[in-house]
Amino acid sequence: MSDSGKRFNFKSVVYGFLSFILGFLLFLLSVCLVLKFTFFSKDFMLESMANSGYYEMTKDELCDELQDLGHASGLPDEFFDDFVRGLDMVEIERTYISAFYTGSSELVDTDKFKQSLIDAVNVYIDENNIDNKKADENSILHFVNEASSIYVKTVKIPFFEVLAKYIKNVDTPLTVAVIGIAAAVLAVAAIIFFTNRYKHRRYRYLTYGLGAGFLSVAVVPIVVYSSGIIPKINLATRSLYNLFVGYFNSLFMYFWIFAGILLFLSVIGFVVYRQKYLKAIGR
Amino acid sequence: MKKGRSSKHLADGLNFIILPVVFCVLILFLSLGALYPCFKEFSEMSRSYFNSEDISIDPDCHDIFVPVEESSAVKEESVHEEKTVLDIKPKEQKNIPLSSVTYPYYGQRLGEVIIEDCQIYTALYFGDGNYELNNGVGMYSGGYIPGYGKTVMIAGHNNTAFNGFKYAQKGQKVIIRTYYGTYTYEITDIQVKQSTDSSAYDFSLNYENLIMYTCYPFDELNLTPYRCFVYAKLISGPVIDKNN
Repeated sequence: MSDSGKRFNFKSVVYGFLSFILGFLLFLLSVCLVLKFTFFSKDFMLESMANSGYYEMTKDELCDELQDLGHASGLPDEFFDDFVRGLDMVEIERTYISAFYTGSSELVDTDKFKQSLIDAVNVYIDENNIDNKKADENSILHFVNEASSIYVKTVKIPFFEVLAKYIKNVDTPLTVAVIGIAAAVLAVAAIIFFTNRYKHRRYRYLTYGLGAGFLSVAVVPIVVYSSGIIPKINLATRSLYNLFVGYFNSLFMYFWIFAGILLFLSVIGFVVYRQKYLKAIGR
Repeated sequence: MKKGRSSKHLADGLNFIILPVVFCVLILFLSLGALYPCFKEFSEMSRSYFNSEDISIDPDCHDIFVPVEESSAVKEESVHEEKTVLDIKPKEQKNIPLSSVTYPYYGQRLGEVIIEDCQIYTALYFGDGNYELNNGVGMYSGGYIPGYGKTVMIAGHNNTAFNGFKYAQKGQKVIIRTYYGTYTYEITDIQVKQSTDSSAYDFSLNYENLIMYTCYPFDELNLTPYRCFVYAKLISGPVIDKNN
């Protein structure tokens, strides 16, 4: 092999390696951005709640649970229909979710709920002329405390408290990581672009990297959807099930979006490469 | 010469597919390798977070109650004659092999409870969760089924199904009709105890006894820690033969 041939092979290996690094960095950048826009975003969670009808379903479930308690307490279903209708579930859930993302210690405010319920029970007693002997204060307090624990259980999202500490601790390092990886992507792309003498080769190696990034990002949702794991998630209530199935579907939609962007860029890279290549060989 | 150039073009073209695929495999391999400890933990956790199979809920599975009399003896009688539940005489049946009794599962309706003197006519479910107690009365799943020769425990709400216990007295008859036989009990005692009082029941007894309970006092607006326990002894009904 001639010297120029050896040099060409060595260069190919080096640029091939740089393409691989570019692909890896693009994959990491995409994953970090997906996490940043979804898992670490309060707005994404609130949007998923609104889109999955979580507020309305939670309200219905809370009403059903309280009605069950009412069957053991002598309160009719209609009482709880009216009471739960008066609760602003959107605001309650927003406060609960915000508490995690802002690091506040107040999770679910039960004082307001308890006071509203006591007031509603007192109004019911007055309206129905119920004898004081038949509405013992301690028993009503016992009922309100039970109702309050049902309320907390309904508002809370399982495992969210466990994940919240990661959300708080990892958010800032993740932002730094995104900036760092983005800078590295630009640096590697610049090396490939500016150190190649032939223009068509610049686009060839960039296209390799973009193609590898696209495939790596696209594999994630393909594997998840082909395993059919999302609809099999184990959750106790319809509202939570719909919320998390919607949440994960939206999260993987971001993977598709980033895969689409990388595919688009790699197609453009290939087209430009072909043009430059044909020009180089004199066609 | 032309042939050599076209094969080079082909190899060049293939590189745009092969190299990204190879890089992709390497990227995923490296990523999985780096994150293996997390994935391992997640894969173990995922067993409890995800079902291995799709869940199919059969809406008809709740009701397995077909009264013995209607399914066998009564069907042979005239169906035109109007009868109350108590008019129907159970088919004479002293022993039932255990193997012929399909054990109910949680949430299934397995019969009905009738206490005429207390005006109680209600569906009997296996299990004592909200679904069961909203639709009738529930048999504690940690207890035994009628005919087994042990303690049977049934719960109901005091404002609905078991509200009639305010009229309960010793000597009154309790009829439990199930899909495998009809049982008659007699009330022997009525006691009010704390809900946490474990002396109110004994599942180690080796004779058939029925305990029914509900919140106490009746017709009040409260969530009370007291329970009204109604105890009854077996008078008649087929015995489940555990040796068969």
